[in-house]
Amino acid sequence: MAEIVGPGCERGIPGNVEMPLAVERLPNGNTLIADAGDEAGFGSEILEVNPVGSIVWNYNEGLRFAHSGRRMKNGNTLITDTTNNRLIEVSPDKRIAMSSDEWGGGTGKLSDGSHLHYPNEAFGLGDGTFLVTDRNNDRCIQVDRNGKVIWAFEKELHHPHNANALTNGNIMIADSDGNRILEINQKKEIIWSYGDGSAETLWWPRSGIRLENGNTLITDSKRHRIIEISPEGRIVWKFHTEHVDKFYITHATKEGTFLIACTDGHHQVIEVDRTGSIIWLFRNYRRPAPIYARLTNGFFKEVGEDGIPKHWVLATRLSEGGGRLIWDVDNKPYPCPGLEYDRPGALFLQQNIFVKVGQTYRVGAEIKTIEVKGAACLHIDFYDAFGGSLYRDITEMPSGEYFTGTNDWTHDLFEINVPAKATFAQLRLAINHSGKVFVRKIMMNPI
Amino acid sequence: MAFDREISEKRKRQCSKLVEISKGIVRQTFSKFKPEELGITWTGGKDSTLTLWIIWQVCLEKGAPIPKTMIIGEGDEFEEIEQFVERMKREWSVPLEVCRNEDVLKTTDHQLNALVRVKDLNERNREELKRIGFEEDEFPFEAESYVGNHLMKTVVFNQFLERNGIRGIFQGLRWDEHPARFNDDYFEYKEGGYLMPEHTRIRPILHFTERDLWDTYAAFKIPYCPLYERGYRSLGAKTTSLISVEGVPAWKQDLENTEERAGRRQDKEKAMERMRKLGYM
Repeated sequence: MAEIVGPGCERGIPGNVEMPLAVERLPNGNTLIADAGDEAGFGSEILEVNPVGSIVWNYNEGLRFAHSGRRMKNGNTLITDTTNNRLIEVSPDKRIAMSSDEWGGGTGKLSDGSHLHYPNEAFGLGDGTFLVTDRNNDRCIQVDRNGKVIWAFEKELHHPHNANALTNGNIMIADSDGNRILEINQKKEIIWSYGDGSAETLWWPRSGIRLENGNTLITDSKRHRIIEISPEGRIVWKFHTEHVDKFYITHATKEGTFLIACTDGHHQVIEVDRTGSIIWLFRNYRRPAPIYARLTNGFFKEVGEDGIPKHWVLATRLSEGGGRLIWDVDNKPYPCPGLEYDRPGALFLQQNIFVKVGQTYRVGAEIKTIEVKGAACLHIDFYDAFGGSLYRDITEMPSGEYFTGTNDWTHDLFEINVPAKATFAQLRLAINHSGKVFVRKIMMNPI
Repeated sequence: MAFDREISEKRKRQCSKLVEISKGIVRQTFSKFKPEELGITWTGGKDSTLTLWIIWQVCLEKGAPIPKTMIIGEGDEFEEIEQFVERMKREWSVPLEVCRNEDVLKTTDHQLNALVRVKDLNERNREELKRIGFEEDEFPFEAESYVGNHLMKTVVFNQFLERNGIRGIFQGLRWDEHPARFNDDYFEYKEGGYLMPEHTRIRPILHFTERDLWDTYAAFKIPYCPLYERGYRSLGAKTTSLISVEGVPAWKQDLENTEERAGRRQDKEKAMERMRKLGYM
């Protein structure tokens, strides 16, 4: 019998904001939020919220991990539907006015023969074209409504996340894996930049915007801070919260405040003023996955109707549309589950478990891998009372061995001490890049 | 065994300071508990031997006997460790109790990898398996497996506390040996629970780095197990302990930049680099 200490809610409930990734203040005073959805890939939507927090408009038809929603001059909303590798333009009455799937005679191909690959951001420009940040193609492009590539910046970028047009005609690009913010002119020359490429200056910056005062506001995600940089490269203003918040996008309002999308940190959008005070906040989060009193079905004896081990969640949000759960049917005395994956993102099989601060737990399992090119491991993420991870980066999380290549069944055993502020642990089997990993006999007990 | 290097006077003073901090913890412990309520865990490895040596120093100063000391017999021991333990037991007059899960060892006929049927175990061991959520009818006898670890180490440890009425137990853990240790305290009170006696864990050498530890051995000429001269840095069960660098004594290895527990973890940095690319995590 599974004892539940924290119930979960139904997945994909409209209005439940699990992971806000983009935000902007509309001329009517409302706020447009792009919600990427929950860990299992449900609930991605674009919401318009009024100042008192009521949802006045939303769009959630078929979106998968949508990263951005931008209101266009014509009143439509341009949506970057990331895992679906497409852009769509949606009218206020929720009709699709344009879809990049129609480009190239219905192949979704652009005029240069390429296809959007994990696009993260798109803005409508004044001339009716779009400025698109095409992350996994490592480029930033300007395309027209028919997919004709008008301009492209494809050099030097490493998984860029946000490019936006400046009033001087230049483009500001967040070169996230390059740990830099670049200002590019139309001739594709870098005319200003911040960050030396090391994680010491910027760590996975997600966006840079030019403020009216000429400074640049950078959302420095993994250093969980917002910084304002003078043209000479000095930090003149900083904002961070007390908890680990992987800020995503910052939008400057006309009033001189900043709207910040706080991802799945505390699952909220905040508006801060120059003193760093939070003056407005939107949060409407309920956690879909239950928290079990102890590890439940660690031996995978029970399988749910969906074919996934009961009480476990197949987390596909970061899988970029690939990967699946598999079974080793020859395993004795009963089949054991595994993950098969084939691209650069990651796939997880996970469960939430109640833990006590200060307690030490021993975690163990048997793991087998087949041709894993990236890494597979068992790791633990701890979450605070607001559902925010306590870690800035996956590699900081306590883990067992990192397996690569092919390994026969191996005992994996590690100990963890529950850090302050943790309310529950998320135990995960993870795989990234490509290959197969199987797991059996997972146990986790206080010692 | 003599160290093949000299420790400077300055470094000796630094090591003395570290030892004094540890002695302070031991003295505090003696003032909180009666001698018969205290116990020591020993493996013959470098950490627990240093801890034992420091406790012995305080005992000499107080004219008190060394508290009851346990060593776990997992059924997969190095002969070199057994000989070293035997020798130190005599030299320091250690009241040593070798603790084993005899029930499991009997069932396996002391053979590694023998299949253990849960129904052949005694009630206590069956209860322990139930407590950790083990759901199968049999398991292979391996000390490094989750079940093996629990039955051969944790259960034996708890039974040692129970049997001797021990309320405070010394452990040779260090902060820098493993990330899971970073938050450990010198004194940690453990609430009792089902099959787990209430007790306090005392860790006098938490603040020693691996380098500090070897310098202290050299500075005070403390005996150690000769396996460390052959390149082992961390000693566990015989079949699963690996030499880190063949023929290079532990203290001459690159302690600061390599892992203390050798094995597949050498690939970890590379794998981590790939993991780091996963933005949202």
